Amino acid sequence: MAIIHEGLSEEFKYVTKPNEQEHIGSMFDSSDLLMQQIAFNLIKGKNNDVYDLVKKALDEGYEANTVLDDGLIAGMAIVGVKFRDNVIFVPEVLISARAMKAGMEHIDPILSASGVEPIGTVIMGTVKGDLHDIGKNLCIMMLRGGGFTVHDLGVDTKPDEFIDAVLEHEATVVGMSALLTTTMPNMGVTIEAFEEAGLREEVKILVGGAPVTKNFADEMGADGYGSNAVECVQIAKDILGVNKG
Amino acid sequence: MKKKERVINALTGKPVDRTPVSNPTNVATVELMDLVDAPFPDACRDPELNAKLAVTGYTELGFDSIAPYFSIIQESSALGCEMQWEQKDNWPTVRMGNPIWKTPDDIKIPSGFLEHQDNLAITKSIEILKKEVGDEVAIIGKTMGPWTLAYHVFGVEPFLLLSIDDPQKTMECLYKLREITVLFGQAQIDAGADVLVVPDHATGDLVSGEYYKRFLLEIHQELVETLPVPLILHICGKTIDRMPYIAESGMAAFHFDSKNDPQEAMNAVDGKINLAGNINNPETLYSKGVSDVKQEVFKALDAGVQLIAPECAIPLKTKIENLLAIPEAVEEWTLKKH
Repeated sequence: MAIIHEGLSEEFKYVTKPNEQEHIGSMFDSSDLLMQQIAFNLIKGKNNDVYDLVKKALDEGYEANTVLDDGLIAGMAIVGVKFRDNVIFVPEVLISARAMKAGMEHIDPILSASGVEPIGTVIMGTVKGDLHDIGKNLCIMMLRGGGFTVHDLGVDTKPDEFIDAVLEHEATVVGMSALLTTTMPNMGVTIEAFEEAGLREEVKILVGGAPVTKNFADEMGADGYGSNAVECVQIAKDILGVNKG
Repeated sequence: MKKKERVINALTGKPVDRTPVSNPTNVATVELMDLVDAPFPDACRDPELNAKLAVTGYTELGFDSIAPYFSIIQESSALGCEMQWEQKDNWPTVRMGNPIWKTPDDIKIPSGFLEHQDNLAITKSIEILKKEVGDEVAIIGKTMGPWTLAYHVFGVEPFLLLSIDDPQKTMECLYKLREITVLFGQAQIDAGADVLVVPDHATGDLVSGEYYKRFLLEIHQELVETLPVPLILHICGKTIDRMPYIAESGMAAFHFDSKNDPQEAMNAVDGKINLAGNINNPETLYSKGVSDVKQEVFKALDAGVQLIAPECAIPLKTKIENLLAIPEAVEEWTLKKH
């Protein structure tokens, strides 16, 4: 591991689990000071600085994928750990997400034009009756950054809308979000609708949201559960058998 | 002891013959709507239907309190938020993706705010309930705190971003929105509410405990001084980290979520505020059976929780038998202890 940026080095101290130290530390193995500046400013939510630094990196000839992986996603990995461990909360994650979005303004067009095959296609939506979307939007941003094509159905998504979208986009993963204990049961209703449509075996269904637990996900018959937006990328990869870390 | 007295005594630290079963948030279900022919969304908007449904908390479920404000959106509708009224089996909600305001300067309480249909549905319903069962059972009104109102009028994401980008403006927003909390709360007291719930969702699933202290503690202390009935603060989700601050708010009780262990919660508040809760909704009341419900009630009672209640508004398709198990469990536990 080679973190040379002082502020980033301080931030890395929040990563305390040995396996995560190894995994996230390895993200910085080949990164230089500029990439680490991007990661640090993303963690701090400095969107204007991230915007400028990403542009500078691309102007200097860095590959878009390098900036994405070594700068933005590596920074977001530390944000995810801090969020999970209650060091930071949603407002702080939101400003980091805003910073990531600022950086992606430069990167997205390059990646789109490159014609790289996506890892998989995901349909995402907040379940019927629920209009909350912060968690879902963070997941979408991370999944797109992680190489997935994501179709966002927005909030208040009815079961047949999920099904129609899976058929239309030939998606293999469905992600459902709920923030209310009153709407969580609609995850089960949607899963039943996939069963009734004869499509349950065709898709992997992932669920998440503040009140959702692993137990609840299992009871509803979901294939996977993620407690935060950073986790969801690895879970989606695991469930599709994609080994890339 | 009458049900009403039991609730008020528990909230004010006086002796009770048994722990009251309360509903700071809604316990209406589709079954109950069908039983009295008062379905959502009409029961949220029409005072007579509202009262018919609310009273079932007493007549059918045997709870010690009734709560006619079923959702969290009445005053936001009156403020002009875009609404999604839904059907019988789904909650009405505010379309927070289309917020009505952007800055503190935008905050204006419309004239005739209290006369808006959706606010009158609550105040008129309280008047009806007061006449029908007001001597027997505690009537719990509900007025949204400024943090929750801010989610509705500014949108959750813009408001949370504002809290980091400009804390001073955030405070300005909260102090202005607090006036709405007081206005609607006082109207319900005038109509006959014995107790008010103040939902103010500064939850650990979204913000830190320090946020509660920084942005809300003082406002909540002022609400306690302004509104002359026992207040119950409701915040969903993880809240242990902010319970020591909440305990300083002066509220009569804190209505807490099953994500917090009842014994840990009791330890966190250290006798400075009563606790109401915390029977799990989605996994227990909605998905499991009577014996599981009772075990959770026993656990809360063993910890010393002062008012037993579902953790939050229940899923509308929750079975009545699971709700009936709550007062049954309290009776069983009380008999066993005495």
